[in-house]
Amino acid sequence: MLAALNRRFGYDERSAAILVFPVVAVLLVVAAYPILYSFWVSLHDIVLTRPLRRPFVGFDNYLRIFEDERFWLAVSRTTFYTVVTVAVTTLLAILVALLLNEAFPGQRLLAALLLVPWATPSVVNGLMWKWIYDPTYGLLNALLVQLGLLDRYRAWLGDPDLTLLLIANAAIWKQMPLAALLLIVTMKAIPDDLYRAAKVDGANVLQRFAHVTLPALRPGLMLVLVYETMISIRHFDLFLIMTQGGPGDASFVLSWLIYVETFRSLRFGTGAAMSYVLAMVTFLLSWAVIRWLGKRI
Amino acid sequence: MPIPALTSPRRRILAGLLGTPAMLAGIGSGPAAAQAGGTLNFVGWSAAVDQVKAQISAFERATNIRVNYENFPWAQYRTALVTRLVGNAPIDVAWISDAWLPEFAEAGWLAEINDVPQLMRYNAEAAEYCTQSMTYRGRQYGLAYYGDHMSFMYNTEILQRAGISAPPTTWEEVVQQSLRIKQQGISDYPLLLSLAADTWLIEFVSALTFAFGGRFTDEQGVSVMADANRGAVRAAQFLRDAIHQHKIVSPGAVETPEINGLRAMGGGAHAFGIVPTYRIRALNDPSQASAAGKIRIALMPKGGPDGTNATCGWIRFYGMTPGAKADRARRERAVRFIEFFGGRDTSGNYSMQRLLLTDVGLPSCAMPLAQDPAVQEFWQRWAGGGAIIAQQAGLAKKKDVISPWFGEWVETANQAWQSVCLGRAEPEAAMRSAGNKWTELRRAFR
Amino acid sequence: MARAARPVAPRILRALLLTFFSALFVLYVAGPVAWLVSSSLQTEAQITAVPPNWLPPEMNLSNFDAILNAAEREVTYETRRQGDPATGGFLPSGAANLIPSLWNSLTVGLWVAALNLLLSVTAAYAIAVIDFRGRRATLYTVLATRVVPDIALIVPLFLVIRNLGLINTLGALVVTYLAITVPFTIFILISYFEGIPRDLYRAARIDGCGHWGALRHVYLPLSLPALVASLTFAFLTSWNEFVFALVLTQNVAAQTLPIVISGFVMDFTTSFSFVNAAGVIAIIPPVLMAVLFQRYIVSGLTAGAVKG
Repeated sequence: MLAALNRRFGYDERSAAILVFPVVAVLLVVAAYPILYSFWVSLHDIVLTRPLRRPFVGFDNYLRIFEDERFWLAVSRTTFYTVVTVAVTTLLAILVALLLNEAFPGQRLLAALLLVPWATPSVVNGLMWKWIYDPTYGLLNALLVQLGLLDRYRAWLGDPDLTLLLIANAAIWKQMPLAALLLIVTMKAIPDDLYRAAKVDGANVLQRFAHVTLPALRPGLMLVLVYETMISIRHFDLFLIMTQGGPGDASFVLSWLIYVETFRSLRFGTGAAMSYVLAMVTFLLSWAVIRWLGKRI
Repeated sequence: MPIPALTSPRRRILAGLLGTPAMLAGIGSGPAAAQAGGTLNFVGWSAAVDQVKAQISAFERATNIRVNYENFPWAQYRTALVTRLVGNAPIDVAWISDAWLPEFAEAGWLAEINDVPQLMRYNAEAAEYCTQSMTYRGRQYGLAYYGDHMSFMYNTEILQRAGISAPPTTWEEVVQQSLRIKQQGISDYPLLLSLAADTWLIEFVSALTFAFGGRFTDEQGVSVMADANRGAVRAAQFLRDAIHQHKIVSPGAVETPEINGLRAMGGGAHAFGIVPTYRIRALNDPSQASAAGKIRIALMPKGGPDGTNATCGWIRFYGMTPGAKADRARRERAVRFIEFFGGRDTSGNYSMQRLLLTDVGLPSCAMPLAQDPAVQEFWQRWAGGGAIIAQQAGLAKKKDVISPWFGEWVETANQAWQSVCLGRAEPEAAMRSAGNKWTELRRAFR
Repeated sequence: MARAARPVAPRILRALLLTFFSALFVLYVAGPVAWLVSSSLQTEAQITAVPPNWLPPEMNLSNFDAILNAAEREVTYETRRQGDPATGGFLPSGAANLIPSLWNSLTVGLWVAALNLLLSVTAAYAIAVIDFRGRRATLYTVLATRVVPDIALIVPLFLVIRNLGLINTLGALVVTYLAITVPFTIFILISYFEGIPRDLYRAARIDGCGHWGALRHVYLPLSLPALVASLTFAFLTSWNEFVFALVLTQNVAAQTLPIVISGFVMDFTTSFSFVNAAGVIAIIPPVLMAVLFQRYIVSGLTAGAVKG
């Protein structure tokens, strides 16, 4: 039996199976069941206030949410939030990575400081920024007034035109360090020879960045874009703590809609269906980024 | 990474992984609590925690029943509770909000107590609206934790400084007095309204709507909120004008949660406010509020041509799960617990109700307590007398939107009210959208 | 003279630029937290002053004192605290839970960091290096476990953990967080492993190394920065997590910091300065660890580069 398997699968395949097995086991126990369960739920008309009936409705829940105007509103809010968050996080992370990749006195201190926003639990992060934006006691108001940029205190989070940007700012502040770290790690893989060669060829800083650094950052950028997209598009904690979807519907993003649908409306079926739509989109985006920037994968 | 630091936590986590009973049972066990009486699982939100713990200590001593008490933040309470109920966690008794009763009852998460005379007898001594608020389709689902209503509060010092001799009796007067206070530079936004999109919002806007003589639904449960004369439109118009035209309410009201509004009122920043009555205790406590001693309660002003002094009342109650009721031993423990907390303790006193009132200010549903000298002294000390509060309590109406679709509807309603406050929607249009949602959900439920 | 000056000017320019950007960086990264720390050292009256006190007028350590010295006490009619804690002055009754929850967070984080790396390294090696059928599919499947929104997973995960008998245990959190961190860690490591020159792998195989040997002798030593990044990622992800911890834990036996802190805030028990102090306490341990192990983290990141 074992010999037969050995003949059929080579050393490579057997090794791969053994090496991958532990991960698969853990994911099967904790991840697979919840994911399949919620998919099953998404195919049923489950409303908890009507416990006696839970008919199988196929993809009706999916069709229903596409007709729901709240869904499309949430899609547009989520798109805006995700694009801003991912773009700004990535840009800032590139700048920070370039800075920390230089050797200079104090570089280590800055690298240690980089962990501070990241180590701030999102609950604390949300509170901290809410406290900074506070209409009466907030730092932002005080700072802008003292600098003469503002003549009277404003209710920042109460302004529907600004809410999403202010939440995005809190998210970016927290997410930037991981992105920068991933980029720094990849930059370590750039051989110094390449820079030296470019210098000998007379390339200036910008040219060296464009022709040496940027291409070498590809794998890091792939990680950053995939991770930041996954995190931002499904982000929930900050919305719960800072605005609860408000004011009005200004921060009514998809993850908030799913929360409302599931735990406030107790419509588990459509809530799960929305989750699956979001999951598919997230997956396709990640897949596209990997195809675009990945090498062997 | 500091792997060496693992040595001591390791034992903890192994214990955790193996699920040792000590770990599972958690702490909070009374030291002398014997196992003989069994254990009861009680879930609440993190309010009046010390009072609950003190009462639990007394309960454990009196009955030998051990109580496993867990509390979650109010903002996440419903999520945590629903997850546990769906997941069949062994909860015996839980705090429930009146707004959730129809949903939870329909979902089969609450057990009726009509067949438990030991608890039903307390109805004879309970305020009528409390019992009504725990009743759905003719069945009662628990005993009250507390019952309260929205009060109109004012700051005597600010009124005095502005030369105003008596608090307003109509919302038109509120506007006039506010403008006067504003012009004198005493307060930027004399009227405090906390209108953040959380669970309090419906209680604030209900209070205002009732004061303007309006309703959300009629006796049959049909939506009238968009009706220009008997609906909520006038209250919505008032809100819009107060914020955008008179500028007596801060535009930041839409992001002011109840707690922050309370702080601002206690800090003396506002002359008038709609505040839950029980907060009067904190507002007049010098160790908690700089305006202490100056906050008084007036009857809810009347608004518009059909105005009344009515306000919005609500209750929170002890509910028993069907799982607990189905098991004889668990049922007995749960009933004794609910009686000890929501009714009289084993010595025949409303000890919990009294404790909540005198410590935290939470008004009770138990009518005999009104004659209790300690309670009368409490109102005298913290509110300058309890007559107006009692009168207002009599004029409190429960939310007329409590229904099996409340959780879903209130999201739309909150957005509608906030849009009005932001000046992004006309009051009529906003109330029409909330009304349409109501009609749609009501029709779908049948 | 002109020849001597040329290298100096760019050097000065570089120093100026570095100083400027470093200052910006410090301001951006540390500014908000500095404000949090400053607020935590003020009394309620001081932090609600307008305009604000940028620095504490005097060091007020009462919040920290309350957190560090809060003992679990039996609450009876005699020992209860009176008054509505809402407007400050009173400390939330959960203050005593903060330090135990900090230990819970730390324990879970360290276990997750260690186990996550063990699980991920082997899988990442297999996917990145070995050519086997279903290589890509394996990666995508693993990543796909992380695209479903957490809200949809709350109830089923609760059921799984309950069936395993792990509700309200640290083990429940460790297992759950592993499922969160492993997919992305694998992804990080794969992308790093792929940058390691294939020639080194071939040389190792020719020298008679099996896959295990190649992983140990070639890939691990060359991947220090990625390994450090993975450890940090896993620890901080579990340090942060909120929604699952909320439903999987019940009391101080297993509750983590974010849960206890959120209890102070979204409730009737907040005093602004106390919440700020609790927030500071939540940030200190990871930063302390970063400083203590700075040698490994920072040098792991700054050294160990692949020279190919």
